[in-house]
Amino acid sequence: MGRYILKRLLMMIPVLLSVVLLIFILQFITPGDPAKLQLGTDATNEEIENWHEKYGLNDPFAVQFTRYVWGIVSRGDFGNSWRNGQPITQEIISRWPTTFLLAILTTLVSVISGTLLGIYAALHRGSLGDAIARVIGILGISLPNFWFALMMILLFAVRLQWLPVSGFYGPLYWILPAGTLGVLGASSQMRITRSAMLDNINADFVRTARAKGQEERVITYHHILRNALIPILTNVGSRFAQNLTGTMILEQIFAIPGIGTLMVLAINKRDYPQLRASVILVAATVSVVNLLIDIAYAAADPRVKATFKSSSGNFLKFKKRAG
Amino acid sequence: MSDTEKILSIKDLTVHYLPPEEPACKAVNGVSFDIRKGETLGLVGETGAGKTTIALSILRLVQSPPGKILSGSIEFNGENLLEASEAHMRKIRGSEISMIFQDPMTALNPIDSVGDQIAEVVHLHSKCSRAEARIKVEEMLELVGIDKSRYKDYPHQFSGGMKQRVIIAMALACSPELLIADEPTTALDVTIQAQVLDMMNDLKKKLGSSVLLITHDLGIVAEMCDKVVVMYAGQVVEMGDKRSIFKHTSHPYTKGLFGSLPGAFPDSDRLKPIKGLMPDPAALPAGCKFADRCEFCTEQCRAREIGLTEVSEGHYVRCVLAEGGNHH
Repeated sequence: MGRYILKRLLMMIPVLLSVVLLIFILQFITPGDPAKLQLGTDATNEEIENWHEKYGLNDPFAVQFTRYVWGIVSRGDFGNSWRNGQPITQEIISRWPTTFLLAILTTLVSVISGTLLGIYAALHRGSLGDAIARVIGILGISLPNFWFALMMILLFAVRLQWLPVSGFYGPLYWILPAGTLGVLGASSQMRITRSAMLDNINADFVRTARAKGQEERVITYHHILRNALIPILTNVGSRFAQNLTGTMILEQIFAIPGIGTLMVLAINKRDYPQLRASVILVAATVSVVNLLIDIAYAAADPRVKATFKSSSGNFLKFKKRAG
Repeated sequence: MSDTEKILSIKDLTVHYLPPEEPACKAVNGVSFDIRKGETLGLVGETGAGKTTIALSILRLVQSPPGKILSGSIEFNGENLLEASEAHMRKIRGSEISMIFQDPMTALNPIDSVGDQIAEVVHLHSKCSRAEARIKVEEMLELVGIDKSRYKDYPHQFSGGMKQRVIIAMALACSPELLIADEPTTALDVTIQAQVLDMMNDLKKKLGSSVLLITHDLGIVAEMCDKVVVMYAGQVVEMGDKRSIFKHTSHPYTKGLFGSLPGAFPDSDRLKPIKGLMPDPAALPAGCKFADRCEFCTEQCRAREIGLTEVSEGHYVRCVLAEGGNHH
């Protein structure tokens, strides 16, 4: 297992390098001169040329790319912002917890409500409750999240005045953004849980458990749900990735000072280093979460665990025995 | 023999599957038979004859909807199980009546170790500590010929035959009075079949359980059973002691079953399969259900429902020919 995790961590290096390369190429071929945006329209050619020289934009692509990657690898330095000249690493570290917390909260809301709704729908298949759950499931994918967020603000913050409209100063402020995106995300969790439960609900081993005299509650949660966990866990991973990027829009609507607002700002100002760092951070987080999900598979299913062992440990064991 | 010795008594059991917007599937129609203490009864018939539905009805595990037990009674030690509460049924399942399922490959939960799966039934039906349950499970594993060091192994680490042993250990863990074995060897290799059957016979003698053995293999019946019930299209067509069924086979369908068995008639070198197929249980013909495939079929056969006739003591046949007393 340890070897497997190490292998997966090492595999993240080429993934992240590709992400950096891709965004570097995209920014390199994007037309327009960032210097003009930073210096204003009345900047002289000389000033623009100096600015290019200062940030190394006159160097060939390979040199710029290598310098950037080396800076990160050797010093953990993502460069300075073109917008205000400040070191990027600091700004990102200060904003990251907000976005991360929001993504976690949102994922929790969608996973808990979606899974419970999915279990209910599967157990009461064909009933009115199942039909309602399925309608919620379809609404969840078809409603645009920014529109839904505005409606929620209108209802809970403006009309009922139960919750603050915007900002991010404490748990009360978390409810609307996390709730809005979480409820929408619950629909996919609901559908996956429902179908994974239905795949197992008539399984032979469920009948065996009933023939043993087991209670329905244990049969539902132990025998059926635990066997349905693999697709459910997969969806938790993709939900988190979507929520991490989904907060970009919601942070704008709710005026939350996270990575999302920073990225939008960076795009508008052509602050390429800032944007690059944010994208890399998101990609790294998603990679780590996917790894955690894969480890969770092993905990959920002994058959997966067996393949982990055989893919990483066999050779070592063989060497030990031979020695 | 007196009624008190009967451990299970099924009377006039009728079970239909009623899928919405489709004709009812008449799986079991008015079936009656008894099992006595310590007896092994073979329930024989081809696929779709209603054997498994009867087994599931005894445990009240017929999936509902669409399955519905329409009438009849199933008395177990004098108590009608069809009227028992769900909580009471849960106490009976696994402890007093337990079941071995047909397909060992899918009957075990893939995410629990085999030891834990046997321990589950032990915990449900006896108040014992974890350590005591573990000892009991290890005993059961050894009893069915699996090393107790494999307690923590998972089903995917076992072969089909070994899985069936685990299932048998699970079914016998609480020493049930009645063991229902639904084609316990169908999914296994022939060599393993004999081992599993021998083991079941040994364990049955050791524990004194009665067995309802569901099979379509008359060879297994010959080896294992005291009594035989032959089913066709949800009805009992012939039943009686093994001896009298094998020696004085009366119903044309039972004869057909023997005729399709290699080695049953050593003097003929050709098998005589029964022509045709069993009627669709959603559209059963009137009169004798076997009429279409029967070489002795007469007009009488289709005219009315045929009842069971006692041709010799305890040997019943559902056939027009038997009614006249001139059975073959």
